[in-house]
Amino acid sequence: MEYTSAAKLLKGYGIRSIESAYVRDAESAIKFSKGGKIALKGISSRALHKSKAGLVKLNLSSKEIEPAFKEIEKRSKKFSPYRILAQRMAEPGIEIIIGGRVDPQFGKMILLGLGGIYVETFKDFSLRACPITAYDARKMVSELRSRRIITYGGRGSAQLESLLLKASKLIAQNKIGELDLNPVIVREKGYDVVDIRILW
Amino acid sequence: MRKERKIDLRPMLKPQSVAVIGASNNPDKVGHIILNNYLEEGYQGRLYPINPNDEMVMGIRAYKSVLGIRDKIDLAVIAVPAAIVPMVLEECGRAKVKSVVVVSGGFAEVGETKLQDKIVAIANKYNISMVGPNCLGVMDPRSRVDTLFLPTYKLTKPKVGGVSFVAQSGAVGSTVLDLIAGEGFGLSKFISYGNAAQVDEVDILKYLMNDDETKVIIMYIEGVKRGREFLEVAKKVTRVKPVVVIKGGTTDAGVAAARSHTAALAGSNQSYEAVFKQCGFSIAKDLDELLYFGKAFASEMLPLGDRVVIITNGGGTGVLTTDAVYNSGLRMAELSARSRAELSRSMPSTVNVRNPLDLVGDAGIERYDKALSVLSEDPGIDMIIVIALFQTPGADEGLALRLAQYKKAIKKPMIVISIGDKYTRDRVVLMENEGLPVYDSPSAAANSLAELLKYYKYKKGIV
Repeated sequence: MEYTSAAKLLKGYGIRSIESAYVRDAESAIKFSKGGKIALKGISSRALHKSKAGLVKLNLSSKEIEPAFKEIEKRSKKFSPYRILAQRMAEPGIEIIIGGRVDPQFGKMILLGLGGIYVETFKDFSLRACPITAYDARKMVSELRSRRIITYGGRGSAQLESLLLKASKLIAQNKIGELDLNPVIVREKGYDVVDIRILW
Repeated sequence: MRKERKIDLRPMLKPQSVAVIGASNNPDKVGHIILNNYLEEGYQGRLYPINPNDEMVMGIRAYKSVLGIRDKIDLAVIAVPAAIVPMVLEECGRAKVKSVVVVSGGFAEVGETKLQDKIVAIANKYNISMVGPNCLGVMDPRSRVDTLFLPTYKLTKPKVGGVSFVAQSGAVGSTVLDLIAGEGFGLSKFISYGNAAQVDEVDILKYLMNDDETKVIIMYIEGVKRGREFLEVAKKVTRVKPVVVIKGGTTDAGVAAARSHTAALAGSNQSYEAVFKQCGFSIAKDLDELLYFGKAFASEMLPLGDRVVIITNGGGTGVLTTDAVYNSGLRMAELSARSRAELSRSMPSTVNVRNPLDLVGDAGIERYDKALSVLSEDPGIDMIIVIALFQTPGADEGLALRLAQYKKAIKKPMIVISIGDKYTRDRVVLMENEGLPVYDSPSAAANSLAELLKYYKYKKGIV
């Protein structure tokens, strides 16, 4: 699913994703940045792993935007058609993943895990069938080995649980095949969904 | 597509009348063993052997078909070759037989799915509840129903009790059943449902949920047929009784090809585990744990917290058990000032009053008595582990029986650890027959208590 429509779908369930816009050229990217730091991502349905394909440039200052844009443009050509997405950089926090999939037996499932580069190393995740209850959400958080980290010692538990409940609703009510909110950057207060992938 | 199923397992487990189709005078035939089991176990209802050739089977008047019986048949056990099962089942339908167990193999498990679909259609057409095919069937030691084609001298039959055992696989079913016979807790129902062509785990859970004789359900599952219904029914079951489950088959094909992180992380086995957790099931890693956990739940007492006290007559075993307590996620209780004062007064100076409470190798009934009477009243203790090592001079039958008395009187979970060979095993049997769960390893004991607490917390909605 195309990125901005996916973000709109999330918004309908009260899930905020980071401010983003497609940019045609370096100039509009600079304009989007309003002097702040941004990320640029080459988006193509043919490139499933953007970072691996070198299509992601993070933390770009105004000066760095133009060369980064050109580089992504060049690398994106082989994944044509493509578009380039500018995103405001999220404030630093801890990366988690929230996901959804359809199990052949039990139907829609929701996943919560420690995210970013640690996903595949630690495989620290919890899983439930959708829709989940508030109790399920609390258990999902408490089952993780990284629970103290991703909840900031428990202070951020409530916001994570509420995010899980919203995501569960989204997964349950839409014809989603697979969903990755990866990463979601969580802070003690607040979070940003930085990347969204929805497969039907 | 398929006709609405009306499943009722009661006539199968509490039948007034049973027909054994394929009953035979030939001792090599499955139908011979099944009929013999009914006779040997003293089934009190009416028995009808069905055999097309013989007038009498094992001394009982035989019938050529169920259609010839002028009686209402609650259960027909079908042990004839697969090819003639449809015909026999059709006759059962016309004779208004309420339920059948199809022991015969030769259906979906060998690729004969059409033949299997055919018998399901017949069973549905006549509202027959059908377990199998390709299964051991059912056993209920109270009604003395036993459709297992396993000779009695090879398989010790469990005594009457509150644990029901559900096993898709006949092999796991019969071996665990044999082991259950050696446990103190008895059996309520055994159901081995084979190919689950019609009656499946959802129907079985529904029945056992409402069965007052069943206090605990233990299950061996390879896969469920109706995931969503399973989830809903399983949640209802754990509101009223605990379920211990072991899942067989743990390889995930196709995960490597998954396109999203989520799909790569969470394959089908993870889904099963997640659903079991979501339903409040206790998950056993192996068959040992299935019995360990089942045994702890069978004593029908749940802890209100995670604080454990250990009373021991062996120092080292007390230390190992302390480690096991922490490894299981439980913790050691702090003894109240009052408990400490009372124990210091009544114990010899060789006993160090702390937790674990080491009564020392020369302890007899008297010291256990004092320790248990004081500590069972301590409000800071949720669970009691008593280590009774019978190699020591002071530990004997008297101690075993006294511990069992305490178990009945104390309103907190209490279990025993006893490790040893023959002398010990005989005392273990004494305790277990009195309803006191005994474990042969510290980790098994601690992990079992931890499962009780998990279930209590699930029921109360505590994370």
